[in-house]
Amino acid sequence: MPALSAAPFISARPWLKKLVLPFANWYANAAGYRKIGLRADDLISEENENVLLALKRLPAKESYDRIYRIRRATQLSIQHKLLPKAEWTKPEEDVPYLVPLLVQIEAEKKEIEQLDTLSVMKKH
Amino acid sequence: MISRSALSRGTQLALRGGGASKIAQRGFAAAASEKASYEPTNIAGVKVASRDDGGPTTRLAIVAKAGTRYEPLPGLTVGLEEFAFKNTNKRSALRITRESELLGGQLTSYHTREALVLQANFLREDLPYFTELLAEVISQTRYTTHEFREEVEGLIRYKQGKVDAAAIALDAAHSVAFHNGLGNTLYPTPNTPVASYLDESNVAAYAQAAYNKSNISVVADGASQSALSKWIEPFFKEVAVESQQKLDQSASKYHGGETRISKLGSNAVVIGFPGASLGANQPEVAVLVGLLGGESNIKWSPGFSLLSKAVASAPGAHAQAANFAYSDAGLFAIQISGSAPDVRKAAQESVKALKSVAEGGVSKEDVVKAVAKARFNLLSLSETSGAGLVHAGANLISGGQPLQVAERLKALESVTGDKLKAAAKALLEGKASVASVGDLHVLPFAEDLGLKV
Repeated sequence: MPALSAAPFISARPWLKKLVLPFANWYANAAGYRKIGLRADDLISEENENVLLALKRLPAKESYDRIYRIRRATQLSIQHKLLPKAEWTKPEEDVPYLVPLLVQIEAEKKEIEQLDTLSVMKKH
Repeated sequence: MISRSALSRGTQLALRGGGASKIAQRGFAAAASEKASYEPTNIAGVKVASRDDGGPTTRLAIVAKAGTRYEPLPGLTVGLEEFAFKNTNKRSALRITRESELLGGQLTSYHTREALVLQANFLREDLPYFTELLAEVISQTRYTTHEFREEVEGLIRYKQGKVDAAAIALDAAHSVAFHNGLGNTLYPTPNTPVASYLDESNVAAYAQAAYNKSNISVVADGASQSALSKWIEPFFKEVAVESQQKLDQSASKYHGGETRISKLGSNAVVIGFPGASLGANQPEVAVLVGLLGGESNIKWSPGFSLLSKAVASAPGAHAQAANFAYSDAGLFAIQISGSAPDVRKAAQESVKALKSVAEGGVSKEDVVKAVAKARFNLLSLSETSGAGLVHAGANLISGGQPLQVAERLKALESVTGDKLKAAAKALLEGKASVASVGDLHVLPFAEDLGLKV
């Protein structure tokens, strides 16, 4: 499950988003994952049933690309190197590809939970 | 003697009350009223057939002209059938299941060679809910990739495991008889290469072509017409009127021939001949089915039917005659299954039985019995809701007349021994469609059986 986030609150208010965006961009770059060619969604921990299911539902190409990025990043990490600057993940490439699936799966789970615990009220 | 205290208070009250007097008043049984036949109407552009017997339950079905005959690529009908009642734009598959469970409804989807049926059985008062649901399923199902991979594929693989030699042989007989269209396989076997055709996007495209007002009909058994027109009109608004993509509707042509498929485990032979189509008035074919029969109606006895007598010498085999009627063609088939030597023997005996009919070796008494059996078959078909429902829906789309039971019954009465003889002769002189599945070393060729292919 993704951590508690203020993002929806901020994106709903354009003036606040405008204020926060430079800081957010600075933070994403400073986190360093873009320098080894990863995307933010590559950092989501896999040790979770929902994430495993979401990974299964990824299209074949997306899944291949993800594995490639992670293997490259692991190799770079072992070698204590960074990618050449031209190959860093660009901000426009850093789009969520796993989170939409995760959100959908969590909604499914929540629905199961609700239906399993519902109480029926008869009209008659 | 039951002591008075053994009777509960409720029973005592019931006995004292109106219940007992009602039982006492009951006279002779009233003559059974004839079951109404389906009344065709048109509600907001949707073809509807309904009948209302006033009972507490309703069967509502959408019959789409999307059986295997019309599928542009193999396996799409099966895919569409399994995608029924899955996630829609409005609610999830789970919610559909749970809600209909709470209402005590049953949702099923099945297909024949010509029709794809989405059916809901439920309590009478829940008509609005299930009308909305069926309309939603045909117009707003999402056909998602993950459902296809996680659920649909698994279900298809599971059902493929149940396809036995008899089903494969019947499929193969249809295939040699009609080649394309009606000859398409009813359920793909694990050996049918469907993987390259069957995926969610193709199924979605097929759904668009199949589920539109010109290609579906709604059949209701046990719902009043006023209630139907009240609820179909608003809920079927979102169903497309027509689709640009037209399904292949070329007429069927009978070819005939022979096919042999080796298979481990079980054995089956199907001997097919051109039969009667749905609309055709060929009462002799129905009587011939009754005469050849195969299934005994009496316990501990083979019965009067020719096939069951013929098969008595091969007790490991089971033979049955049937007429598979479609909108523009039919296949009269003798289906035999069992162990290989017995199937061989039974096939030979069955053809002998058919030849004896062609030579006029049928007693008058047997003809009377066969006519009675044919009458029962016809009436029971029109009365039971499953087959009658599909029949009514399919007829409505193709623009044919609904089953005229009374006329058909009269026609059956006119069948004589001579007519049967002529019909059987015509069958044997024409080209047969023979399919053998199983141990081909033992199973006979059509020529050995004395058939023309």
